[in-house]
Order: sequence, then C-alpha cells, then structure tokens
Amino acid sequence: MIFAWIRFGLCALCLITAMVCFTAAVLGANRFGFIMNRVHAGGVGDTLGLFLVALSILLGDGFHMGELKLGFIIIFMWFTSPVSSHVLIQVEYFTNPHLYDHVKREIPEMETEEEK
Amino acid sequence: MKLREWKNKFFRWLDGDYDVMANIMDGSLEPDESHEKVKRERKAAQKEMTSSGLSQAVISAERKGFYQIYIGVAIVSCIALIGVLLFTVNLLPRYGEENPRAVEVSDRYIEHGLEETGAVNIVAGMILDYRAFDTLGESHVLFAALLCVMILLKKDKKNMDSQFDDYYQIEQDAYFDVSKDTVMRKVGILIVPCIFVFGIYILLNGQNGPGGGFSGGAVLGAGLIIFESAFGFELVDSFFTAKVSMVISFVSLAFYSFAKGYVFFMGANHLHNHIPKGIPGAILSGGLILPLNIAVGLVVACTMFGFYSLFKRGSVGGV
Repeated sequence: MIFAWIRFGLCALCLITAMVCFTAAVLGANRFGFIMNRVHAGGVGDTLGLFLVALSILLGDGFHMGELKLGFIIIFMWFTSPVSSHVLIQVEYFTNPHLYDHVKREIPEMETEEEK
Repeated sequence: MKLREWKNKFFRWLDGDYDVMANIMDGSLEPDESHEKVKRERKAAQKEMTSSGLSQAVISAERKGFYQIYIGVAIVSCIALIGVLLFTVNLLPRYGEENPRAVEVSDRYIEHGLEETGAVNIVAGMILDYRAFDTLGESHVLFAALLCVMILLKKDKKNMDSQFDDYYQIEQDAYFDVSKDTVMRKVGILIVPCIFVFGIYILLNGQNGPGGGFSGGAVLGAGLIIFESAFGFELVDSFFTAKVSMVISFVSLAFYSFAKGYVFFMGANHLHNHIPKGIPGAILSGGLILPLNIAVGLVVACTMFGFYSLFKRGSVGGV
C-alpha cells in the first residue's frame, strides 16, 4: 500500500515537473524575441519534458512492451531534437548580419608583454 | 494558313521558345525607367506626408481604430460561424439513434471486410479495396502536383542563364548547406537506417496494422530528405536520379491502374479474379492490398523527395 502511494507520488511529481518544462517551452517559444532563445526554450520541452513524461508513465504503468517503444521514441527524440536545434542555430549564425545585436561578443584579451 | 500559324505557335509554346503572355504580362527583368521614376516620386511624396508629427498622430489613431474594427469583425464572424456549425450539428441524427441508412455501409465493412478483402486492418481494406478508385486518384494527384512544381521550378538549359543563377546565389546556398556539418553527418549515420527500416515496416504492414502506403511513403521520403541533408546531393544522386524517380513513379502508377482495372473489370462482370487472399494476419495476405500499398508508398516517397529537391536545387534528381 505504502509502496503504491510512493509510486503514485513519484509519478505525479514527474508529470508536474514535465508540465512545468512544457509550459516554459511554450512560453519561451512564443514570447522570446530572438531565435536562439526560442530554439533553446523549445529544446527544453523536447528533451527534458518528453523524458519526464515517459518516466512518469513508466512509473505509473510498470514496464511493458509499450514502454520499450516509448524508450525508443525518447532515444530518437534525444538524437533528433538537439541536432535540429544545432542546425537551425548554425544557419542563423551564418546568415544573420545583425547577430551581435543580440549576442554578446567576447573578444579574448591579448596578453601584453608586461604580463608575461 | 491560319491553322498552320496557330499550330506553329502552339508547338513553339510547348518547346518554351514563345511566350503567349508576352504582350499581356510584362515579365521583363530590365527596370522600366518611367515606372521607376513614378515609384520614386510617389515614395518621396509619401515620406513627406507622413513625416510630420500631426500626420503621425492621425496615422496612429487610424491604426488604433482599424484594430478595434478588426477585432470586432473577427469576433462577430467567429460567433456567426459557430452558430452556423452548431445549427448544422443540430440537424444530424443523434448519437446512438436508429438510423439504418447511415450505418449500412460501415456495418458491411465491419462484418464482411475481413472475409472480402483479406485484410485485418479494415481501413486498408476500405481505401485499397472497396474504394481503390479514390486512392488511385489521390496518388495520381500527387504525381500531377510533382509535375506542376517541375514546370515552375525546374532548371534546365533554357532558363539556366538568367540573372538569378549568379555567383552570390551559389555562395548563399553553400551557407545553408548543412551536409558538411560533423554533428549532422554522425547523427545521420545512426538515424537514417532506422528511418528507412521503419518506413519499410509501415509499408509492408499496412494490411495487418496501422500504416499503409501514404504514411510509409511519407516516412521513406522524410528519410531520403534527412539522408540528403546529412550527406549531400552527391551521394543521393548515385542511386536516386531524376530518371529513377520518374521510372519508379510511372511503374507504380501504371501497376496500380492495371491491377485495379483488372479487378474492377472482373468484379463488374461477375467473374472470379485469380488473386489469392492469403491467411489474414500474414505479411503476404490481403490480395492486392500489399502490392498497392508498396506502389502508393513509392509514389509518395518520390514526390516528397522530388519537392524537396526541386525547391533546393531545381531538379528532381541528379542527371
């Protein structure tokens, strides 16, 4: 009985955390102004949110064939979502002429003779 | 004499030498001097008019009023649409009500579908057996859409030397080309085989479970697109040329038409057709459903990749 309640609690916790992640993702993808921030917000939902949903289903339902398929979906999404974000950001990086209006450029400071 | 002239014109139009709309639509790329001048003057006048503070205030007030009207019209039209739809729903027979006319066909499908088509998946039995004409039209529409996009976007000798094909365009395309990216390549090696296997599984399993030609073909086409974006067009062109794409589409559609024509002809004349139905649930079952699924899937995959390739570089496949 206690075990079942613990399992339910963990399941609910995972689901609530996943909902927080997805809310952040939706809000971020819609409200942020710059594409890099948007892609980052979307990536959070695609990776952590999806994983937490799958974990809560696994905890709530036990391990069956369906959960194995769910695991494959998670693996697939963890491969594809970051790569698609990476490619999007790369295209943005190469094509946006006003990139440094949004991104802080950190120029490495040259070492002077005296410091050496 | 006149007929020959028209015929000559028609064939010249077919070859692309003669533009019928040449005098009606001005498609010339040279800037029209007088037109440009009028445009410039109009722009200057507009700038002069809108630059003063008073006119700015008037414009912003008008804009505000426009948005209020816009929102009001949107709300009213939404409510009207909801009302119309709810009224229509009201006319439908109620859920669970005795309505023999509405359930006659679906009852037939559910009761005799497995026996008559040999497919466990009733939907596959419906779209590829009872209503195969519909699916035939759909796959031909896909092919026709590919041909239309080809008419608009294909690059060949006749439109190659236009000013859109200059050096900067090529330079810009090289920026968007992600196939030289290491991450994309490494992930492509892992992902692409899985996608192809999954697509083939969906294609072959159409008569036994969810899936079929359209979804399997879409997965295969997406796999080809990912393959291209990971490894570049050079590798795709080694096995998937324009000719291969066209031959696959043509053979699939012709096979579909002839096979289904045979079945319809025999069925309409109350003759026995010699296509075995097989054991329901096996991969080789369902009579013609499996081959038709494969045909539809190949057409869909070719069309999807053809669209992608036409939009990216202006040809269906490599030469």
